[in-house]
Amino acid sequence: MLKLKKLSKSFGGVLATDNVSLELKKQTINAVIGPNGAGKTTLFNLITGKLKSDSGAIYLNNNNITNLSEPEITHLGIARAFQITNIFPSLTVYESIKLALLSKRNSLNNMWTRFKDHQINNSANEIIELTGMVKSKNIISSELSHGDQKLLDIALALSLSPEILLLDEPTAGMGPEERWQMIDRIKDLWKKTRMTILFIEHDMDIVFKIAQKIYVLQQGAILAEGNPQKIKNDKNVIKAYLGGGKK
Amino acid sequence: MITFFKNDNFYRDASIAFITWVTLVCVYFLIPDPGIHDIIQKVFILGLFALSLNILIGYLGLIAFGHAAFFAAGAYTLGLFLQSDLIINYNLGSYSIPIAILLSILISALLATIIGSICIRLKDIYFSFLTLAFQMFIYSIILALVDITGGDQGLMGGFPKPPFLGIDLGQPFDFYAFTIFISIFVIVMLRQLIESPFGYGLRMIRDNTERPAALGFNNQSHKFIAFIIAGAIAGLAGSLQALLDVGAYPEWAFWAKSAEPLFMILLGGMNTFLGPLVGALIFEILNDFVTANTRYYGLVLGLVILIFVLGFKRGLLDWLIMKIERK
Repeated sequence: MLKLKKLSKSFGGVLATDNVSLELKKQTINAVIGPNGAGKTTLFNLITGKLKSDSGAIYLNNNNITNLSEPEITHLGIARAFQITNIFPSLTVYESIKLALLSKRNSLNNMWTRFKDHQINNSANEIIELTGMVKSKNIISSELSHGDQKLLDIALALSLSPEILLLDEPTAGMGPEERWQMIDRIKDLWKKTRMTILFIEHDMDIVFKIAQKIYVLQQGAILAEGNPQKIKNDKNVIKAYLGGGKK
Repeated sequence: MITFFKNDNFYRDASIAFITWVTLVCVYFLIPDPGIHDIIQKVFILGLFALSLNILIGYLGLIAFGHAAFFAAGAYTLGLFLQSDLIINYNLGSYSIPIAILLSILISALLATIIGSICIRLKDIYFSFLTLAFQMFIYSIILALVDITGGDQGLMGGFPKPPFLGIDLGQPFDFYAFTIFISIFVIVMLRQLIESPFGYGLRMIRDNTERPAALGFNNQSHKFIAFIIAGAIAGLAGSLQALLDVGAYPEWAFWAKSAEPLFMILLGGMNTFLGPLVGALIFEILNDFVTANTRYYGLVLGLVILIFVLGFKRGLLDWLIMKIERK
């Protein structure tokens, strides 16, 4: 469904994305791994239209979306959560999710009704339940714990009922226990919605546990791809990334 | 009855607004002091000006520093139109004032469209300074076009105020009731705007400029529309001020005039809808009281602002609401 063809992007001579081609299958969980500066987040920025690629093309369900803007691509069904939590500090969880839902429906230009009266409460509550944020529903986002802020960031993306969900380090900055809780949530979420997920993650245990397909990035290029078993045994990966030498 | 006033909706706001208007009309007769009447109507005119700026500052997080450009545009449009031959040539008669006011709103909105289309792309201090630059440009034009605007003397010679719908703005009571009615009407509409999905879209941009795009939302067009609405309302405030003073002055386009609504917002509070209106009240009372007793108006105003900024750390209404919520 999502297909990247020879995508490249450089910043002042440094290749951040080098000839990347990949294809995500429907209803799968995929991971992107790689050392710092491997171009993982840049790849996400290219897919979502936040950055424009220098060359190559992006297809969503066989439609070329390479030159569309970020809002346009979002409306076509690609949503993302950010590495550094990206929420609305002065709004409550409920208000934030409602805003995302209204944005999806292009209803935010409406001046003649009250925001409070909009009848999307059911969908908003569903998202809140799905992400397990029922207790923090009416809390102002800036007062949430770090983990809950991460969850809210993901909940905002989910509100757009995307076909493809991009998660940029969903467990960044979390303690070990919190990490696994988050991973269980994501796995749970996937079982319920069966949306296609592409996520960036540093923790190898997590990646090997939940990803069905893994892409290893190094200096902007794909070094290896395949199922966890294949990646674990890939010589290049072991040498370059998995700390080599141990085997 | 009580539940009706607890429900936050348009009908409640409109009812409160109407009751307020009727009360203020009663006040006119209960307190027959022209000085008080003058303060009340000025509070509404300036309050409208400050509320319009607060769309940008409080709800959008954009510190516009050239808002007086629209105030002056509204004032000069009204004055020049009422002085023009158009009124006689087209025999506008009782339509003159309504047309003049609508024209002021329209021209200010048009000006905001032009200035906004350029400024809205910029952020932070760059945005502030570009709005300031445009305002000083308008100021220079007013000074330069002496034949039309009267230059630094202002729009002299007065203008006719033909009665319409039985309202004669030449009469103090008619002017008082009319000005307050229009202001309150616009305030209710503005409240609707702020509480609508559009208004929450503004808060979203204020909180985070990057995330909305990833939610499929177009920041720029939203900001642009808000800028035009803010300009149009400032223009209306300007036109009412021109009607009150039967003239228009270049100082209304000077940068110090842009600072006035900023002070009002600081004094009254930017996070509560009516904060800027309360700010206008404090500002007007200070103005009236201090100038009557001392020459050091600027010094007193500065001290009061320091008390609010350093003492309360927010405007009066924001502070009160915080106190109530904490209890």
